[in-house]
Amino acid sequence: MATAELLLVDDSKVMREMIAACLRPEQGLAFSHAGSGLEAIERLSLKKFDLVILDLNMPDIGGIEVVEFIRAQDRLRELPILIVTTRGDDTSRSRALGAGASRFMTKPFAPEALLGEVRALLRRDTRAVS
Amino acid sequence: MTSPFDVREFLAGFLAEAEEHLRSSAQNLMALDRSFAQGQSNARAVRDLFRSLHTVKGLSAMVGAEPIVDLAHAMETVLRSADRAPGTLRREALEPMLQALRAIEERVSALAEGKTLAPAPAAILDALGALQPQDGQGGARPDAAVSLPPEVLAKLSAAEKQQLVEGVAAGKRALRADFVPTPERAAAGLTISSVRERVSNVAEIVKVLPLSRPRSEEAPGGLAFVLVLLTGGSDEAIAEAAGIPKEEVLPVAVQSAPQPAPAFGEEDEIPAEAVQRRTIRVEVGRLDDALERLSALVVTRFRLSRALAALGARGADTREVAEIMAENGRQLRDLRAAIMRARMVPVSELLERLPLVVRGITRTSGKKARVEIDGGGGAGDGQTPEGRSIGGAGFAGVASRAGQEGRSIGEELDKSVADRIFPALVHLVRNAVDHAIEPPDERARLGKPEEAVIRVSCLERSNRQLELTVSDDGRGVDATRLARKAGREVPATDAALLDLLTIRGLSSRDEATTTSGRGMGMDIVKRIVDQLGGELLLKTQRGSGSTFTLRVPLSITIVDAFSFACGKQPFVVPVATIEEIVEVDPGRLVRAPGGREVRLLQRRGETVPLLALESVLHMERGTEPRRKALIVRRNAEPYGFEVDRMLGQQEVVVRPLEDPLVHVPGVTGSTDLGDGLPTLVLDLLSLTGSLGESRPS
Repeated sequence: MATAELLLVDDSKVMREMIAACLRPEQGLAFSHAGSGLEAIERLSLKKFDLVILDLNMPDIGGIEVVEFIRAQDRLRELPILIVTTRGDDTSRSRALGAGASRFMTKPFAPEALLGEVRALLRRDTRAVS
Repeated sequence: MTSPFDVREFLAGFLAEAEEHLRSSAQNLMALDRSFAQGQSNARAVRDLFRSLHTVKGLSAMVGAEPIVDLAHAMETVLRSADRAPGTLRREALEPMLQALRAIEERVSALAEGKTLAPAPAAILDALGALQPQDGQGGARPDAAVSLPPEVLAKLSAAEKQQLVEGVAAGKRALRADFVPTPERAAAGLTISSVRERVSNVAEIVKVLPLSRPRSEEAPGGLAFVLVLLTGGSDEAIAEAAGIPKEEVLPVAVQSAPQPAPAFGEEDEIPAEAVQRRTIRVEVGRLDDALERLSALVVTRFRLSRALAALGARGADTREVAEIMAENGRQLRDLRAAIMRARMVPVSELLERLPLVVRGITRTSGKKARVEIDGGGGAGDGQTPEGRSIGGAGFAGVASRAGQEGRSIGEELDKSVADRIFPALVHLVRNAVDHAIEPPDERARLGKPEEAVIRVSCLERSNRQLELTVSDDGRGVDATRLARKAGREVPATDAALLDLLTIRGLSSRDEATTTSGRGMGMDIVKRIVDQLGGELLLKTQRGSGSTFTLRVPLSITIVDAFSFACGKQPFVVPVATIEEIVEVDPGRLVRAPGGREVRLLQRRGETVPLLALESVLHMERGTEPRRKALIVRRNAEPYGFEVDRMLGQQEVVVRPLEDPLVHVPGVTGSTDLGDGLPTLVLDLLSLTGSLGESRPS
């Protein structure tokens, strides 16, 4: 299985570490970290990623603006984006999905749920097999 | 709900981040308070507060700290509406928010100590819930006209436009600078994060947003970042910080709305974030770890120098190696100093929390007091501990701002000292409000201003000590009353009075108070200072006030240690160096072959050479009939040190005797076990050297 490149975007370092910890059981994942939406956009413009895990509330530009920016780029139109946020209200959810996010999860989350979402978005879902 | 994680794995990281957010939130609440006092709004403080609390909420949810989530959520709700409609936050909102912040702080501390969290106080949640954003005032303020391209303008929130208007009204210029990321720039360390950080040191960043560009050689990522800035500095400074030509720094015209908006206060000149951006968060444990590894390196160096000496004794020419060894020693010293520096935190971080403490107490006690904080600089001269020195130089400023204004306190001290000394400062400040400061009517009668001043100042002394003073302009310590209460003679000097004041459990107040409780806690202050190896002084004058002076070392080392008695004297050794503590059974000892003064202990099939510690240290033997032995291991070989008896285990503050690299072999420093007497800290590993040659093969 080829290694999948994941970009973890959250202004909290410990939160990014928690997310990476949840994904430990999955083999073949490589993590890059971005501490802000700006940094995420910069990294995305310079390197290819297979999945972005994105917080909504960040300094300068929030997650929804990052999603909007990504979807406005031709080459990033298909990039899976998983929103992981404390902002679980319906407005945030519909705005994020409306802007083009692939999936939406709220913090706190169960590690298995995150793992499941990531597998599904990377099309590594094993449910069909088992 | 419980956490989905093994919380322990992330606890240290959580605490580090949470503490940083709480600290900046406290600063922002104080900044808001000052803005309100001047009838102004402060859009940025509101937004920063909102973001910090949102992060705290998310993190707390992940570690299952529900009471913190509840409190942060309630604060966040108030702040969100305020951020959306700038200028609508009411001053009444501050008090419940301060309370909520304190409640969060308490729970974060509880989490750090592994205690169960108390639920969020319903009264605070209700108070926050009752705050509805106020209409009118600035809420329906017409939009400012800002000369930026529509795609940029559309991304500016009302609060950000307001920030631009406020900045320009305060005499700053609005500017735009574009940064285009490229792989080459990234390789040279120029990324949007580093650029943002550098620019934030020369300008106030209002907004940074990405703009798509056609992919080209100049913009290989198809991307440019637009930085919208406010500055009092030059275009050149910004161009340099952003790594772009000066011509690409463009002015932005800001037409304020018809009714000129209030200006930012002076304290906003230097954004708090600009000061903090150049820092990273590191758990103290990691620095301790680095120090521990360094100690191992130092031990290896001692062995190396011994081996070298042995070579020289056999006639080898070791001069060149000896020179290298000397250089190596200097480098190790420098490295140790560098790690110690990394553990230092600004004293201002400690002191700027005190105004909040006093705010809380004065509200419940009905007294009026404010804290003025004074750094070492300018006003430092008049800082001798004198009861009525307040009113001298440097008194003019409302110094609770000192930390955020240009006159910031530059002194730093070790994090572990800071954590220990802060409760002492809180005790002193509380005592001042509770016991020293008179009620407003009494002060008026005495011709004093109704609002008392508690002045906290800080000064670095030449001998690597920090001097902190807490002065009040209250009634002074009543020596006669105190003496009567203690059943002693009236002390003749301030020093004797301090001794009396620090007797455990003695209180000069007859009933318990809400803030200090029964007993003044002065014995606790004294104990904290003593354990740090510091000094506590008092200068007091009836009717005009008291000054407490705390002199503490800038840095200390803390280790978990066993204490034991040997030769009628107590000693300590770091727990980490001891493999086992065993009972010495005289019947199972054997003499080493050849009748040398070494006895051997049989232990689980191993032969352990045993040495009476007092003979190593050339001391008189104790009278203990049954003795203990501390087993240490060097190079996989066990060694035993015989001692009289174990006293206990505790965390001790180790004070180096002198330079740690040029020390008495076997003695790493001294500590205070709480009896006020110095106790030696031993390094048994280095004492095994005297046993090395006598091992049986």
